[in-house]
Amino acid sequence: MEDNMDSVAGDTLNQAALAHIDALFGYAMTLARDAAEAEDLVQETYLKATGAANQPPAGSNLKAWLFVIMRNAWLNHVRHDQSGPRFVELETNEQMDDSGGNPHVVYLRKLEQKQVREAIEKLPQAYREIVVLRDIEGFTYQEIAMVLDCPAGTVMSRLGRARAKLRASLATWQRISRARAV
Amino acid sequence: MKICEDTCKRLNLYLDNELQGDERAAVEAHLQECGSCASVFKRELSFINAIRECGPMHVAPPALRAKVQETVNGAGPKPFPAKRIVSKAQVRLGLAIAATLLMLLSPILIWRVMNRSPQSAASSFALMAAETHLRHSRGQLPLEVESGAPQHISEWFANKVNFSVKLPNYQESSGQEKLYTLEGARLVGYKEDYAAYVSYSMNSRPISLVITSDSVAHPSGGEEIDARGLKFHYNAIDGLKVLTWSDRGLTYALVSDLEERGQQSCIVCHQGTKDQDLIEPLKLH
Repeated sequence: MEDNMDSVAGDTLNQAALAHIDALFGYAMTLARDAAEAEDLVQETYLKATGAANQPPAGSNLKAWLFVIMRNAWLNHVRHDQSGPRFVELETNEQMDDSGGNPHVVYLRKLEQKQVREAIEKLPQAYREIVVLRDIEGFTYQEIAMVLDCPAGTVMSRLGRARAKLRASLATWQRISRARAV
Repeated sequence: MKICEDTCKRLNLYLDNELQGDERAAVEAHLQECGSCASVFKRELSFINAIRECGPMHVAPPALRAKVQETVNGAGPKPFPAKRIVSKAQVRLGLAIAATLLMLLSPILIWRVMNRSPQSAASSFALMAAETHLRHSRGQLPLEVESGAPQHISEWFANKVNFSVKLPNYQESSGQEKLYTLEGARLVGYKEDYAAYVSYSMNSRPISLVITSDSVAHPSGGEEIDARGLKFHYNAIDGLKVLTWSDRGLTYALVSDLEERGQQSCIVCHQGTKDQDLIEPLKLH
């Protein structure tokens, strides 16, 4: 109903959606890795989200719904981009350094946030995306499954591999920085 | 041992709050009795906390925020500047749709503009405080120190943040009925620095106080309320009530889901004091 556009609830919804602009910009940067493209993606997301024909399903998580819109918009651009796919999928047989017992991890809290951020930025696309969705944005596995349009089991396994790679990357960084300090 | 193996496999699920009921209780029970698994758990918790403290990794530029504000306010979308990822055909289609919508909805838009309250967007500090409150409520940001003693919390922050955190203890000194509980505190990342996060609860409802230096965050946006020489900024963010203000070199954000503007949460500092002249202007009239 078009009347919904005029309702107080609709106005509140739009303002609530605005509260997620930093999170959406962060996710857009994760996807596009370019500030100008990320800004365009954020604008397009809000344009779609505030359209009368595009309302969040009843009872749904507004933030997760906005992320779904953004990801779909991004995938549409990638599919239509003549320069070829930019959304690199994971290789399923990727060799992982699962350093679950790595003693360096105990020192991780002492690492500067900068190093952790850099390590996240260097993760492959799909790993970076799932770490951002879970650990930076705080989505549940079910919400991430909705955003990524995949089973919750895939979320769990991909997140495990992403964290293992991040852990290994940070341990390597620490070994290098220690060697430099000696 | 198989139980250790099973527990370690489930640690990430446990840390991500994906285990419920008996499964969660089983992991907790094993961690209580097995030092080896408890040690692995501490490492994992430390690792995941280090990642989570990185957020937010990006902040939307002010110009983008302004453009999006226009869009959500219904002022009509502006054509995208030098479209880089949308084709010209899509832009033309979008403009055609926007023009049609504008014609159809113009009476509604005029009504909305006339009835809009003069508020601006919440500050990044208010948004961070609301997000931190939500994440802590969901169990995603565990406290680093748990204590009901304000003095203990104040001491814990010494040398961890570059400002002095002195929590008042009006509740104890007033001798009045205990209306709220101090639960603990932790550090949270904000603009390449640490801010102080203090958690309270009142009738089982969480109240969050986030503190940083006023050189790092300036309260802005939202509804402005003057009270006793201070300017409070009130925002409703995701159903939460967020009050931000600066006083004597520090900037504060108080977050709750309490009624009206959440001014009841002010009692965490002002219970038992004759500060009604401070709190009264925050009430809706």
